[in-house]
Amino acid sequence: MRLGLAALLAFAATTCAGADPPQFTAAELGRIAAHGPWPLPWTADPGNRVSGDAAAIRLGHALFFEPRLSANRRVACASCHDPARGFQDGRATARGLVAGTRNTPGLFNVRHQRWFGWDGAHDNLWSASLRPILDPREMGGKAARVARALRGKSALDCHYTAAFGKRPDAGDPELLVNVAKAIAAWQETLVSPATAFDEFRNALQRGDAEAAAAYPAAAQRGLGLFLGRGQCTTCHAGPLFSNGEFGDIGMPFFIAPDAVDPGRQGGIKRLLASPYNLLGAHNDDRMRDDPTRSNATGTKFLRAEHRNFGEFKVPTLRNLTLTAPYMHNGSIVTLREVVKHYSELDEDRLHADGERILKPLHLAEAEIDDLVAFLESLSPDAAPPAPIAPPAVPTCRER
Amino acid sequence: MKSWRLPAREAESPADRVRRDGCWRCVLAASILGLTAAANAACPPAAADGTVLKSGDLVLAYRPLLKGKPDRIPMAQHFALEVQLCDQGGISAARLHKADATMPEHRHGINYRPAITALGGGRFRVEGMMLHMAGHWRLSFEVQAGGQTIPLAHDVQID
Ligand code: HEC
Ligand code: HEC
Repeated sequence: MRLGLAALLAFAATTCAGADPPQFTAAELGRIAAHGPWPLPWTADPGNRVSGDAAAIRLGHALFFEPRLSANRRVACASCHDPARGFQDGRATARGLVAGTRNTPGLFNVRHQRWFGWDGAHDNLWSASLRPILDPREMGGKAARVARALRGKSALDCHYTAAFGKRPDAGDPELLVNVAKAIAAWQETLVSPATAFDEFRNALQRGDAEAAAAYPAAAQRGLGLFLGRGQCTTCHAGPLFSNGEFGDIGMPFFIAPDAVDPGRQGGIKRLLASPYNLLGAHNDDRMRDDPTRSNATGTKFLRAEHRNFGEFKVPTLRNLTLTAPYMHNGSIVTLREVVKHYSELDEDRLHADGERILKPLHLAEAEIDDLVAFLESLSPDAAPPAPIAPPAVPTCRER
Repeated sequence: MKSWRLPAREAESPADRVRRDGCWRCVLAASILGLTAAANAACPPAAADGTVLKSGDLVLAYRPLLKGKPDRIPMAQHFALEVQLCDQGGISAARLHKADATMPEHRHGINYRPAITALGGGRFRVEGMMLHMAGHWRLSFEVQAGGQTIPLAHDVQID
């Protein structure tokens, strides 16, 4: 906590005069600070040897928009992960070659996640990027088709060769993993800009009361609820507003009258069965045997519990205004309804043996407005941010 | 279970003494002792061995092993622990059998099953711990000695 007492008093004095935003305690100021700084510093993914490599990023960018990887040559990553919508599709559940059962997550800041997919069935970004290529419901691709797509365009061929030191070959068992690593390298560059909340947080850190007062009073009151009575930070913690783990907030998990989405329980099974997890041969981390630095620690020590059934990943709360509808099944359409869900929570829907964190908050209408105002302040207020252009690779001529 | 940190005086290591006195003979003695002393210098635990817990004769010291900040357990990040077991006779022959953590108020534990490796000299490494929420956690240890299981626990606040 760097904010001095004088600054704190000055801040309290100026804000008291306005539309009575809350006066944060020292403990609350510390917790506000913990939701930043933003953006987080970029670090290379140790499990992906082409992380940060210009040719791989360029290749990954092109392949993300490339429908020829799919079985019907019409579905690309970008069909569902639309850059104009924060890399989401606006649908409740995704539709690729056939209809899926889960909501498409946005991809901004995806580099900073520990688990990928709503059930965390992937422990790394490149295997999460390989799944849709191969999944018969999404793109239905295979090595031969991918190799053909790469060799069919000289720029793709050249960037692949520059990144991996060999030409794309359908017979190479590494081909699909390499392609996924290149697409991951590009997705690692997707970072959303600082928001009104971040400016408020930084102003408090500097002790700049004037700048802090520019943050709307409603958002400040909403932040107070988020940290306090709402206990939202218990799960939505840190700069991403997610602790990266899993929880059950009483969302229904029936996907058909006779079928359920088991959530994290199924995710752990799929993760451990995957040849592309970080315990497998495709992890490029040189530190993987070092107990304090290995990137495979989470996977190695996972413990399956009964309560994992019906748990889903705690999503980031950044960029929510771009990524409606919400939840793993896209069943909630607006942020107001999300807040109402927490306000009117049906405790019978929560696991009997589960955590004792969530309680119906019984919020007043004005408090719901405040919490929504706060959530909206975690998104960019203008148009969706454009991804930064991939770097040029002088040795590869683009057509 | 009560826990405490050893007062600095008792916890002073030969290296600390050298730093305080700046005497050359000490440096010499410390460096000669260095290799042989290293194995049993850990009992009783020094300040650098971290938090000290006690049950009867048994003394357990633990410290988180982290890349950055050494003595604070971070929220929602994996960390390893180094544990030293001592008793009246110096290094304890007991075995660290289990290490775990729970949030008593939330009625849940951690999402990972830590693994314990014996390093020799009463030292153990616990890998795979992660406290995934802010709040009150109880770290718990089970030590086995002479056919008995001795539980030790320590409450920590994570934020
Ligand atoms: C048919 C629509 C669709 C297509 C096409 C698609 N995705 Fe996805 N994507 C999804 C859905 C739905 C999920 C959530 C999956 C789950 O929870 O199991 C997802 C999850 C992800 C995730 C994990 C994100 C997170 O926050 O956990 C990544 C990364 C990702 N997709 C990348 C890609 C890439 C790269 C491609 C192209 C190779 C692609 N996706 C193609 C719909 C799609
Ligand atoms: C126990 C952990 C936990 C707490 C506490 C919690 N959440 Fe969540 N939150 C989750 C999980 C898990 C999901 C995803 C659930 C699903 O899809 O089934 C979620 C989803 C959301 C979403 C939807 C995001 C998206 O992209 O779909 C919003 C918004 C949200 N929470 C806001 C809040 C607010 C506001 C509070 C405090 C009132 C709160 N959460 C408290 C765990 C939690």
